[in-house]
Amino acid sequence: MKPSLYARSLARESRGARGRLTFFVACLAVGVSAVVAVAGVSASLDDGIRQEARQLLAADLVIAGNRPLPGGFDPAAAGIAGVLATRIEETVTVVSAPASVPGRPGPSQLVELKAVSGDYPFYGRLVLRPARPLSALLDARTAVVASELLARLRLAPGGNLRIGGQSFRIGGVVLSEPDRIGVAVTFGPRVFISTAGLARTGLAGVGSRFSHRLLLAFPAGTSGPAIQAAAERLKRGLPNASFYRVETYRDARPELRENLARVERFLGLVALLSLFIGGIGVAQTVRAWLAGRLDAIAVLKCLGMRPREIFALYLGQTALLGLAGSLAGIAAGVAVELLLPRLFPDLIPAALLHPWQPAALLRGLALGLGVALLFSLPPLSAVQRVPAVRVLRREAEPLPAHRLAVAATAAALGAGVLALATVQSRSLRLGAQFTCGVALATAILAAAALLVTRAVRRLPRDSSSRWTRLWARPWLRQGLAALARPGAATMGATVALGLGVLVVLAMSLVERRLAREFTRDLPLDAPTAFLVDIQPDQWPEVAELLRRSGARRVESVPVVTARLAAIDGVSAEALAGRRGGDRSRRGSERGRRDGDRGGREQRWALTREQRLTYMDRLPADNQLLQGRMWSGPGRAEVSVEEGFAEDLGLRLGSKLRFDIEGVPLDLTVTSIRSVNWRGFGINFFLVVAPGVLEQAPQQRLAAVRLPPGGEQRIQDELAAAYPNVTMLRIREILDKVRKVLARIALGVRFLGAFTVAAGIAILAGAVSAGSARRSREVALLKTLGMTRGGVVANFAVEYALVGLVAGAIGCGGAAILAWGVVTRGFELPQELEPLPLAVGLLATILLTVTAGLAASARALQRRPIEVLRDDA
Amino acid sequence: MRACVAWWTHSKPAVAAAGRSLTGARQPGSAPATEAGVDRTPRIELIRLTRRLPSGERELTILDEVDLVIAPGEFAAVLGPSGSGKSTLLALMAGLDRPTSGEVKIDGQPIHGLSEDELALLRRHKIGFVFQSFQLLGNLTARENVLLPAELLGLPDPIGRADELLAAVGLEDRGHHYPSQLSGGEQQRVALARAFAARPPILLADEPTGNLDGVTGRKVLQILAELRRLEGTTLVLVTHDPAVAALADRLIHLRDGRVEREEEVGAPVLDPAALATP
Repeated sequence: MKPSLYARSLARESRGARGRLTFFVACLAVGVSAVVAVAGVSASLDDGIRQEARQLLAADLVIAGNRPLPGGFDPAAAGIAGVLATRIEETVTVVSAPASVPGRPGPSQLVELKAVSGDYPFYGRLVLRPARPLSALLDARTAVVASELLARLRLAPGGNLRIGGQSFRIGGVVLSEPDRIGVAVTFGPRVFISTAGLARTGLAGVGSRFSHRLLLAFPAGTSGPAIQAAAERLKRGLPNASFYRVETYRDARPELRENLARVERFLGLVALLSLFIGGIGVAQTVRAWLAGRLDAIAVLKCLGMRPREIFALYLGQTALLGLAGSLAGIAAGVAVELLLPRLFPDLIPAALLHPWQPAALLRGLALGLGVALLFSLPPLSAVQRVPAVRVLRREAEPLPAHRLAVAATAAALGAGVLALATVQSRSLRLGAQFTCGVALATAILAAAALLVTRAVRRLPRDSSSRWTRLWARPWLRQGLAALARPGAATMGATVALGLGVLVVLAMSLVERRLAREFTRDLPLDAPTAFLVDIQPDQWPEVAELLRRSGARRVESVPVVTARLAAIDGVSAEALAGRRGGDRSRRGSERGRRDGDRGGREQRWALTREQRLTYMDRLPADNQLLQGRMWSGPGRAEVSVEEGFAEDLGLRLGSKLRFDIEGVPLDLTVTSIRSVNWRGFGINFFLVVAPGVLEQAPQQRLAAVRLPPGGEQRIQDELAAAYPNVTMLRIREILDKVRKVLARIALGVRFLGAFTVAAGIAILAGAVSAGSARRSREVALLKTLGMTRGGVVANFAVEYALVGLVAGAIGCGGAAILAWGVVTRGFELPQELEPLPLAVGLLATILLTVTAGLAASARALQRRPIEVLRDDA
Repeated sequence: MRACVAWWTHSKPAVAAAGRSLTGARQPGSAPATEAGVDRTPRIELIRLTRRLPSGERELTILDEVDLVIAPGEFAAVLGPSGSGKSTLLALMAGLDRPTSGEVKIDGQPIHGLSEDELALLRRHKIGFVFQSFQLLGNLTARENVLLPAELLGLPDPIGRADELLAAVGLEDRGHHYPSQLSGGEQQRVALARAFAARPPILLADEPTGNLDGVTGRKVLQILAELRRLEGTTLVLVTHDPAVAALADRLIHLRDGRVEREEEVGAPVLDPAALATP
C-alpha cells in the first residue's frame, strides 16, 4: 500500500471513533500522567538540587565529619588564594528561658544548635531580623534563634536564653535558612551561637554528640574543575582523611539525590503499574473495537487488502490513539506537577520545583506509546485470523493462529514490558523482578478466570436438576452462563481488576501497618524519655529529681565514649578507606548501589564515636545468638549486636582496639546478640564485661517513664538545674517521624488513586465495549419476557462474580505483597488483617457491579424493537 | 510467492486497460484480448472440488467433487435450494475459503497454494464482489467505497473512475453520503460500482437482489447487466430467482453439494431492455 493511501485509509478508519477514543485515551492518559508526574517531580527536584547546590551547601566546598577537624589544619592547603573559611559545630540540646516565677524553672525546648565561627552562609540567603549578617549579630554572649522557639519559650528578641547553663541574649530571629530542606526530620527549632559562645557553655565536652563542618568559599570566578582539584588536594592534606567527607557544590548533595532516586524508583514502578493496568484497558478497548470491525475487515480482505496491510492499518490507528492518550496524559501529568506544590506546600519546597522537564515528558510519551502498541499487539494480531469468507457466512470459524505468530507476539509483549520496566526503574534487575511479579500475578488471575469460566460451563443448565429452588431463577443461571459465553471479557476484566485491587490494597495495607507502628502508644512498660550526657556525679541528684517528679522505672547505665582504632590489627582508618574503595570495584548497577549504601554504613560504623557500656547481665530484650557471656570478672570481653557485627565483619574472637581519650583498650568479641529495638529500652551495639571500663571517663544514660503531662515540667527543671543534660522525648520524636511518614504516604496514596482510576476506567471500558452485544442480549431477554429488574439481576450476578474472583485474588496478592514489603523492606512483623481484606473484597464487588450496571444503563433503557431492527 | 508474481504479470493488461473509459472497454461477451491474441484458457476451473465443515461430532459435506469450467466473458447463474452449496462455491472460487480437496484454477493458475496475502492480491487484481447484504464499509462515503479497490490497485485517476461509475449507477449526487444514509437499492448500486471499480475480469455476485424489493431488484440487475456488457466481465451469479437466472448464458443447478445439471440458455448478450419491463 502506498503511503498516501495508507494515510487516507488511516483518516477514514478514524471516523466515528469518539466512543472508542474516550476509553482508550482515558486508560492510557491515567497511567501516562502518573509516570510523567513522578518522573517530572523527581527530575525537577534533582534539577533544583543541582541548580541550588551552592545554596543547599551554603559554600563551594565542605569538609564534614563526626570528629573535630585537626587543630593545625589550614584551609590554605586548598591551594587557592583568598579562600574564606567558616567552622560550624552542630548538636541537639535543650535550651531554656529564665524563670519568670521565682522558684519555678522557665520553659525549655529541645533545639538544633549551630555554632558558627565566621561568615555564614557563603551562598544562599539566611533571612534574619534585624536584616544584618549573622556574624554581626553574634558574639560570645548572643544567640540568634528561630521565631518558632520564641513562641514556644514565650521570649522576645532582646530577652535572655539559657544554653548549656549560660545566659545568651537573643540578638536576632531566623526567618529562613538556605540549607534546611523540609523533607527531613528535624529535632527542634534552630539556634545559632558563635564558636566563642559555644566555648562558654562547656557543651562541647567529652561524650557530647557534635558534628563538625568546615565551609569554604573561593574567590568569585573560581572554576568548577579548580574547586574539584582543591577538594582533592584538601583530601590528601587532611590527617585521618577517611574520617571526613569532602564535598563540593558540584556533587550536589549526593545523599539527598540518592534518597530521591530511591523514592523515584519505587514511585516510578507504581506509576508504571498503573500504566500497565491502563494497557490492559487499551487491549480490551482494541479487542472490542475490532470485534465491531470484523465484517469490515472481511470486506477489506475481499476487496484485496492484504492481511498485513489491514494489520498495519489498525496498528497505525492504535498508534494515533496511543499518541492522543499519551499527550492527554502528559498534559494531566504537568498539571499535577504544577498543582502539587500548591496543594501540599509541606511536601515539596516550591523553590526546588522546575516543572518543565522535557526528558520526563518524552519518557511519558514513549512509555504511553509503547504500552499502547504492546498491549494492542495480541488483539491486533487477531486481524490476521478474520476469515474473508465471513462476508458470506458470518459464523465462519476464525483462521487458525500461526504458532510462530503467537510465540512472536508473546515474546514481543514480554520483552516490551521488561524494557519499559527497566527504563522506568533504571535497573535491569528491578525491571526483571517487576516483570516477573506482574507476569505471575497476571497468570494466576488469568488461570482463576479460566477456572471460573470452565466451572460455570459445567453447571447444569436446566432448572429441574437437584439444585435448590434458587437455581430455578433465570437471572442467576443466565448471569453465571454469561461469564462463559463466547467472546465474554471475563478474562481481561478479571486480570485488570485483580491487578488494580492488588496494588491499591497492598499500598494501603503497608501504609496502615506503618502508621500503626508510629502512632501506637508506647508499650506500657517502655520508657518515654531518654536523658543523655549526665555526668556521673550528677546522677544521684538527677535520679532523685526524677523520682520526686513521679518518674517510674528509672534505669541508667554508664556510657564510655571511645573511638574504634583497629579491628584484628588493621587500623580503622585503613578499613574505612578500603570500604570506600570497595565501591568502585563493583560492576553491576545493583552492586554499585548496595555498595554505596553498605559502604556508607560501614564507614559510619568505623568512624563514628562509639558508645560502650558495661553490665553484668544482658537486658531482657537481648538474645544471645553466638558465644556466651562473660567468662569471668575483669576479662576484656565485648558482646556485639548482630547488625553491627555484620557491618564490620566481626566474628567470635575478633579483636577490637578502642581509643578512650588516648588510652588504648583491647577487647575480644565473645558473643553476638540480637536486640529488640522496638521495645525502646536502653540498648547498645557494644556491651563490655564488667570490671574493664569502671575507671574510664564516662557519663550516664538514663531511660525513664514520665507521668503523662509531666514531661515538659521535668524537662524545664532539668534544663534549669543540669543544663548539660539533654532530654529526648520519645513521643515527640515519634510524632516528627510520623509527620514525615505521612508526607511520603500522601505521595503513595496519590499514586494509588491513579491505579484505582485506571482500574475503574478499564472496567467501565470493558463493560461498555461490549454494549452493542449487551443491547442485543437485553432486547432478546426482554422480548422473551424477562423484566428489567430481572435483567439487572442477571447482569449483577455476572459482574459480582467477576468482582469476587478478581477481588479475592487481588486481596490475597495484596496481603502477600504487603507482608513482603513490611517484613523485608521495613523489618517489622506483619500479621494478617482480615478486616481491611474483607472490606477490600466487598468494595471490589460493589465497584464492579456499580460500574458494570452504569455502563449497561443505555442497553437497559433501549426498547427491544429498536435494537433488533438495528441488528437486522 | 512465485504464484503471486505470476498474478502480477498476468494482470498487467488489465491494469493498462484501466486507463480507458467505460465505453472504450473490451467487447461484450468476448474474452479479453492479450498480446498473444484470443486467450482460450478457462477463466475459472473447478476440479473435483470438495468442501466439508465440522458440525458437532459429524462432518457436513457442503460441496462434493464439483467439476466446473467458466469461460472468459461468460455469465453463469448458479441455482439451487438453501444449503445446496451455492455460496460456498463462490467463496472457493474467490479464495475466501479453502477446499477440503480438489482444486480451483483462475486463468489456468491453481490457487490452493497461495497464502492469505497472495489470495488478497489475487482478489485485488481479478475479482469483484456483489453481496446480498451489500457489505459497504460504514465509515466510508459512497464515493470512498467505490474508490477503495481502484486505489488499492493503484489505478491512475481513481477519483475519475469512481465518479464515472457512480454516474453509471445513477448516484453521481450521492457520493458524499454514508451507507447508513442510503436506501437498500442505493447501497446495492454503490456496491455494484465498487465491484467494477478495479476493472476485475471476474465478478462474483451472491444473491445481489435478495434483499431488495422487486422493482429495485430489477433496476440493480439492469445496471449490473449494462456494466458487465461494457466491461466484458465474466459473471458468476448465485440466485434463487429464475427470472434473474434466465438472463444468464448458462444455468448451473446445485443440489446437496453436487452439480445436478447444467443448461445452456444460449443468450450470449444480455438485453437490458428486456429487464426494463416486468
